Amino acid sequence: MPISSLLYLKPRDWGARIARYASSWWSMLHLGAIALVMAMSPSTWHRANRLATSTYIHASTWAVLPWFTLLTALISLVIIRIVLVTAQSYGLSGFALEMMVRVLVLELIPLSAAMFAALRAGMAFDANAMGLAASGVAPGDAADATLRRVRRDLVPQVIANAFSVLSLAMVSSVIVLVLAYLNVYGLSPWGLGDYTRTVGRVFNPVVTLGFVFKTVLFGLAVAVIPSAAILDMLRYRRRHRSNVQPGALRLLFVLLLIEASSLAVKYI
Amino acid sequence: MADPNTIPDEPKHVEAKAVILLVAIAALIVAFFVYVMYARGVFEPTQQLVLVADDSEGVIPGMDMTFAGFPIGRVRQVDLGKDGKVNILVDIPKTDAKWLRTTSVFTLESSVVGQTRLRAYSGILTDPPLPDKASRPVLRGDAAAEIPRLMSTARTLLENLENMTRPDSAIGTTLANAATFSGRLTGKYGVLGTALGGDEEAKKLLQTLQRVDAILAKTDRRVFGKNGVMDDTQAAVRELNGMLQDARVTLQKVDAVLVEAQAVGANAKVATQDLGRLRGEVDASLRKVNRLVDEINRKWPFKRDEEIKLP
Repeated sequence: MPISSLLYLKPRDWGARIARYASSWWSMLHLGAIALVMAMSPSTWHRANRLATSTYIHASTWAVLPWFTLLTALISLVIIRIVLVTAQSYGLSGFALEMMVRVLVLELIPLSAAMFAALRAGMAFDANAMGLAASGVAPGDAADATLRRVRRDLVPQVIANAFSVLSLAMVSSVIVLVLAYLNVYGLSPWGLGDYTRTVGRVFNPVVTLGFVFKTVLFGLAVAVIPSAAILDMLRYRRRHRSNVQPGALRLLFVLLLIEASSLAVKYI
Repeated sequence: MADPNTIPDEPKHVEAKAVILLVAIAALIVAFFVYVMYARGVFEPTQQLVLVADDSEGVIPGMDMTFAGFPIGRVRQVDLGKDGKVNILVDIPKTDAKWLRTTSVFTLESSVVGQTRLRAYSGILTDPPLPDKASRPVLRGDAAAEIPRLMSTARTLLENLENMTRPDSAIGTTLANAATFSGRLTGKYGVLGTALGGDEEAKKLLQTLQRVDAILAKTDRRVFGKNGVMDDTQAAVRELNGMLQDARVTLQKVDAVLVEAQAVGANAKVATQDLGRLRGEVDASLRKVNRLVDEINRKWPFKRDEEIKLP
């Protein structure tokens, strides 16, 4: 619900619209909290849920991990070469490795993993939810039942999406770290000490915690925001009039907010 | 999610695959953390070194301390002491601590490009090893701090250069004079004109020289020419020679006279000796005559009465 839509309303309707806007953010946070609590409680993990979670994990991670890793490795290789060659031409090769680790592993890969998972999750939601939204306003009982069902499926899906972001980011980061080493030192094992030292210098406690925290937040955002948007749509029995995936803008906004906050904490 | 029972098509062994994935990712995360901890030296026994500096600029926790280019320590903490000095706590792995000795010197170098470098230098590796928790001063070398001084020096240098290259500068004047000098050197009167300060002066000198030349020619004629001064001089010299010969003869004669005079002198000396004896004899004779006269006076009837009569 963009702020600019207020311009098309009468001023007396502004309060109601802002309240609805705030309640939709609140319901998103609430859903995230419910998902986390349910994920932590043992009673959730009965056979059906386990199976559902496994299926979602399989779909969101297992199926895409090889391709995503391959793609990230290729793009990272290009970036690594560019950084390395440029740094060497300026006589600053000593800083190339640190820059690669900082830029690729800490920033670009988690963000691209989150984007990829969001796109993947969005497509899945699209296929499932658009039919419902297009069928018009559901009757009261049917809407409640749908909410219950969504909640039942939601937790496995949220967990699977969060896990997907985490695993895509971690695997790609490790692959990029290996590629960076191979590009800088070749196949020789003698650069390992120096390399380890550089990695140790980059990953100080603040940066490491920030990296993990950011990746987890990315995962939660990707998992929760589109689901919350669809639930919101069902709750208010609105027809989805836009071609944009519900919650996509909000997701993008939140991802950028997390990234910017992380950069601010680390470098300002 | 339109159909409540819709679950994505169940692939084969989906639970096993999910478990494998979970375990693998968990293992990867744990391994990554262990690697980062290892890289940060968490598992390595270390000793501490406190470096005391005046300024902590450029020193950040995590930066390396190098010895001969090899990283041997890592800055753990930078804090401000009670005395206003900066205390840099450096963790040094026990395996690398052997390179640091009690006489080691530590420097903090800031370069214009790149990070600040903390270096250790050990001149004498046979000195006792550096103890744990040792505190050492760190010497600071700041290339960036040198820039303002360098700039001011460069500016002064450029100003001097500008002063030197101005048209009215001393060097410019000197060069103009040099050009005039070289122009005069290649002029009509050459070095002479240059040395005397102008062609007119050189001309005068040349005229003077010509006069001197003419005077010399006249002199030559008058002195060494026929009936010149030299001829007269030669005649005079010859005459003088003759006069000298005459003088020599005269002197020989004088010599003979002197010899004779010497002989006369000798005779006179002898005569003088005889005169002495003669005088002695005369004295004796006079004393005898005197005594005789006294004797005659005593015995003579005209003897005087010697009695003294009182009034």
